[in-house]
Amino acid sequence: MTKKKIGDVILDVKNISLRFGGVKALTDISFNVKEHEIRAIIGPNGAGKSSMLNCINGVYTPQEGSITFRGKTFSHMNSRQVAEMGVARTFQNLALFKGMSVIDNIMSGRNLRIKSNLFLQALRIGPAQKEEEQHREFVEHIIDFLEIQAFRKTPVGQLPYGLQKRVDLGRALAMEPQVLLLDEPMAGMNLEEKQDMCRFVLDINDEFGTTVVLIEHDMGVVMDISDRVVVLDYGKKIGDGTPDEVRNNEDVIRAYLGTSH
Amino acid sequence: MAFFLEALFGGLMAGMLYSLVALGFVLIFKASGVFNFAQGAMVLFAALAMARFAEWVPGWTGIESRFLANTIAFLLAATLMFALAWLIERLVLRHLVNQEGVTLLMATLGITYFIDGFGQTIFGSDIYKIDVGMPKDPVFLFEGVFPGGVLVNLEDVYAAIIAAFLVAGLSIFFQKTATGRALRAVADDHQAAQSIGIPLNKIWVIVWFVAGITALVAGIIWGSKLGVQFSLTTVALRALPVIILGGLTSVPGAIIGGLIIGVGEKLSEVYLGPLVGGGIEIWFAYVLALVFLLFRPQGLFGEKIIDRV
Repeated sequence: MTKKKIGDVILDVKNISLRFGGVKALTDISFNVKEHEIRAIIGPNGAGKSSMLNCINGVYTPQEGSITFRGKTFSHMNSRQVAEMGVARTFQNLALFKGMSVIDNIMSGRNLRIKSNLFLQALRIGPAQKEEEQHREFVEHIIDFLEIQAFRKTPVGQLPYGLQKRVDLGRALAMEPQVLLLDEPMAGMNLEEKQDMCRFVLDINDEFGTTVVLIEHDMGVVMDISDRVVVLDYGKKIGDGTPDEVRNNEDVIRAYLGTSH
Repeated sequence: MAFFLEALFGGLMAGMLYSLVALGFVLIFKASGVFNFAQGAMVLFAALAMARFAEWVPGWTGIESRFLANTIAFLLAATLMFALAWLIERLVLRHLVNQEGVTLLMATLGITYFIDGFGQTIFGSDIYKIDVGMPKDPVFLFEGVFPGGVLVNLEDVYAAIIAAFLVAGLSIFFQKTATGRALRAVADDHQAAQSIGIPLNKIWVIVWFVAGITALVAGIIWGSKLGVQFSLTTVALRALPVIILGGLTSVPGAIIGGLIIGVGEKLSEVYLGPLVGGGIEIWFAYVLALVFLLFRPQGLFGEKIIDRV
């Protein structure tokens, strides 16, 4: 693998605390993500990984702390505003538009980029027609890239799980995001599917230079593909560094393997 | 044979009108996953607005022309439906993002009662008439083929044409435009739709407005046939079997479902009615819907939902 150039900090998370009533989901979490890197957030079940991702994505608003994206700090954001800033995401429990075809699902990711007005679109005339064709071409590239050509017109609800995960990824890619948030992209997959997904993530990072933040609880996969890893346990950060550093971190080993009492 | 055709035409026309109301349900369900109980109330509200504005506009502006007055009344009523959609989004839906379907259903039930009462408060609760100049004369077709020909109401024919245009427009809107795609996306998953930058609030206003316009058209057609009165809301109940038959998520389904029910009602009343002492028209649609629920719950054209366990 060629050594890629890792840039400046693009996403800076500072002192995030999130509570649901009395439950502390996240306590004082800080870390940063640099441009073009693959940054993993790992931790055992219930460690607060998804909560962290949802804070970045604007689904949850943390009670304390701030998130800085490309030099802009925000504390109250909704998912749509975050999307407009160039952050795309996939979902752990697949949130695809089940009744729509693969093409339409991925096309919907182009939503923010479609500019022509409604009436031109409906009549398919002039610039609207050309624009639709351009977006469609872009989407076809994504479909080729994810190797789902055969399922273009299939309603996604009828696809097997592994392929649905790819469509989910495709929809996020269609946004041409600067930062891609992946919520357990390998969850529930068999070994072969996991390898495919790893390959896609690496290729996306490599070819498009997209910054990737991914959540996983499968340590093995993460260690192989990430540049840096954050480890959470019970809502607290217990490790942060390269995969090797993290692997040898006492606290991390304890969190994953338990301690002898 | 002429008699059969007459009954058939009558059924098709009635069915077209059911379809129009059913369409409103389907639109909102398709685009937001909400079963909108208030559609019937919206039909009445829109019809009331249309009838009363058409009556008031000449007084306000001194316009003599009936056509012009009706046009202005239509625009005013459409604006009112837009305001209603905006208010519903702002006061109700916005606060219920990501909630269960049943919560939203209950919310629309509340909206129903509000619109019912509010409409009659500002527009009055008498029986009003809408006269948009649709010809009332019957025409006789096929006079050469059958003795006496087949009697068809010209008004019904016009109504059918208007409905056909509305349906064609909506189909194009849903299938061919990016906004249509965004609407379908919102119906499937609120959170995912937001994550790709679809503005939920705007989409909801659009879809409730479109449903409001559908209600307005349905209200005008029903109103000019039967007069604008509270019983219009019960028309909405007739639309329920239509959507069960056609499928909750299908625009063509709403149309074909409506036609089947309209024709089925008329023909069964005419031919089976005498055998059982009549009254079939009242329950036919519901029994048909029940049969569908038992054997094909997704309707003729609806999406079959397969859940992974």
